[in-house]
Amino acid sequence: MAHDATHDHHDHHGAPQGFFQRWVMSTNHKDIGTLYLVFALLMFFIGGAFAMVIRAELFKPGLQLVQPYFFNEMTTMHALVMIFGAIMPSFVGLANWMIPLMVGAPDMALPRMNNLSFWIMPFAFALLLSTLFMPGGGPAGGWTMYPPLSLQGESIAYVVFAVHLMGISSIMGAINIIATILNMRAPGMDLLKMPVFVWSWLITAFLLIAVMPVLAGAVTMLLTDKYFHTNFFNAAGGGDPVLFQHIFWFFGHPEVYIMILPAFGIISEIIPTFARKPIFGYKAMVFAIASIAFLSFIVWAHHMFAVGLPMGAEIFFMYATMLIAVPTGVKVFNWVSTMWGGSMTFETPMLFSIAFVILFTIGGFSGLMLALAPADFQYHDTYFVVAHFHYVLVTGAAFSIMAAAYYWIPKWSGNMYSETWGKIHFWSSVISVNVLFFPQHFLGLAGMPRRIPDYNVAFANFNMISSIGGFWFGASQLIFLGVIVHCVWFSKKKAADRSWEGAKGLEWTVPSPAPHHTFDVPPIIHDDELAHGNTDH
Amino acid sequence: MNAMVDTQMDERRKRARRTAWIAGGVALGIFLLSILQMLKL
Repeated sequence: MAHDATHDHHDHHGAPQGFFQRWVMSTNHKDIGTLYLVFALLMFFIGGAFAMVIRAELFKPGLQLVQPYFFNEMTTMHALVMIFGAIMPSFVGLANWMIPLMVGAPDMALPRMNNLSFWIMPFAFALLLSTLFMPGGGPAGGWTMYPPLSLQGESIAYVVFAVHLMGISSIMGAINIIATILNMRAPGMDLLKMPVFVWSWLITAFLLIAVMPVLAGAVTMLLTDKYFHTNFFNAAGGGDPVLFQHIFWFFGHPEVYIMILPAFGIISEIIPTFARKPIFGYKAMVFAIASIAFLSFIVWAHHMFAVGLPMGAEIFFMYATMLIAVPTGVKVFNWVSTMWGGSMTFETPMLFSIAFVILFTIGGFSGLMLALAPADFQYHDTYFVVAHFHYVLVTGAAFSIMAAAYYWIPKWSGNMYSETWGKIHFWSSVISVNVLFFPQHFLGLAGMPRRIPDYNVAFANFNMISSIGGFWFGASQLIFLGVIVHCVWFSKKKAADRSWEGAKGLEWTVPSPAPHHTFDVPPIIHDDELAHGNTDH
Repeated sequence: MNAMVDTQMDERRKRARRTAWIAGGVALGIFLLSILQMLKL
C-alpha cells in the first residue's frame, strides 16, 4: 500500500550530494532528525564526562581531584547539558524522524523552521560550554539558577543567552510538531488512530509552548537584576528571591514531564511489537498522558516545601503531586497488561523497555515519598533526591531513548545492529546503573547533602560503590556507540522493511532505509496496520 | 491525480502555517505575561 506510493513518485530525486547542502542546508525531516540525534549523542558523552569528574571526586571523602568551585561547575553543567543538550534534543530527533513517517506526512509542516530549530542548538551549547574556559569559570550555582547565588559570577549572561537560544529552538520545534500533527496527517489517520508516540509528542509540544516562555521570562529578569539594577529577586531592594523559585518551578516541573512523556510514547510502541499484541487500553494511555500533562502545571511547589510555604499550600501541593500516581499507575498497568499473555521475545529494545517499566516505577515510588511534605523536610536537598530523579531520567528517559535507537535504527540505516552486542550493552547498563544510583537512596536517607565535593567518612562506602557503578555505566555507553557505528557503516545484515515481526504502523510500510522522500502521495490507512489495532471496540 | 494531491498539500501547508502562527503567538503571550506578572502590573 503505502510502499508503492513511496516508490512511484519521488525516487528520482534523492538526498543532495554535497555535505554542506545535505546537512547544513537540510530541510528534510529525516536528515534533521539524524542531526538532532548525533548532536544529542555528543552532548550525552560531554555531560557524561562531567558526571565522571563528579563521581571521581566523590570516590572517597576529602578533596582529591578538583577544586570545590570546579566541582560545582561540573554539577551545574552536567545537568544543563544532559537536560537541554542530550535528552530533549534526542526526543526532538526521534520526533523529526518518526512523526511524519507515523502519520503519513511527506515532511514536517515547516521544514525551513525545522532547519533553524536545529542549527540554533550547536551555537547555544558552544556559548554555554565556552564559559568553562573563561576567567571566573562557568556557572556553578546549580541548573536551577537560584538567585542570589547564580548572580555571583559573570558567566550568568552567557548562560541566560544560551538558555534563551535553547528555548527558542525548543519552542520552534514544538510549533512544528503541533502544526505537523494537526494538519499533515494522511487522510483516515484520525487523532484517535495515531500511534501513542505521536500523541505523547503532541501533548509534550503543548507543554513546551506553555512553559519555555516562562523560563525565558525568569532568566531575563535574572539578567536585568544582574546588569540593569532591577530588584525582581533582590530582597535588599524589595524583591523576592522565592518568586524566582516559583517561576522557575512553574517551568521546571512540566519540564520533567517534557522529558518523560515522549518516553511513555516510545515504550507504548515497543512493548506491543515484542509482545505481538495491540497496546492494552489505547485511549486510557492517551488520556493518562493528557492527565499527567495537566497535573504537571499544579504541582510545582513540591520542589519548594522547605522554603516556608503556608500550610494550606503545602497540603495542596502534596495531594496534587500524589494524584499524578493515578494516571502513571494506569500506564504501568497497561504496559504490563499488554505483555500479559503475549508471545513475547526479548530483543534489545524490549529489554530496555521492560527495564524502563520496572526502574521508572522505582523512580516514581521515590517521587511519591518526596511528595509527602513532612517527610520531604528530611529528604530535601539530599542524595535521596539525586537517586530519585536519576531513576526517572536515566533508567526512564535515557533508557527509552536507547530502546528507541535499537528499535528504529534498522529503519534509519537499513541495517540490523548486532543483537549480541546490544544485549551486552543492555545487561552492562542495567546492572551498573543500579550499582550507581541505588546506594544514593541510602546516602540520602542517612543525610548526605547533594552538590558537595567532600563528605563525612560515614558516607564513604556507599559513595565508593556508587562511583564504581558510575564508571562502569559510563564505559557501558561506549558499547552503545560501538553498536551504532557498526550498525550504520559496517553491518552486513540488511533490515527488512518491517524489521520486527510484530511491528505495526505506517513507518514499517516504507523501505529500509527509509528513502529521502516518503509519502509524497498520502498512503491509504488500513486499521489493521495500526499499532493499537481497531479502536472501535 | 498528482495535481489534485499537490493542491491538497498546499492547502494543508497553509493551514499548518496558520497553526504555527497561533502557537507562536501563544508562546510570545506567555513570555510577556510572565514578565508582567513579575513586574506586578
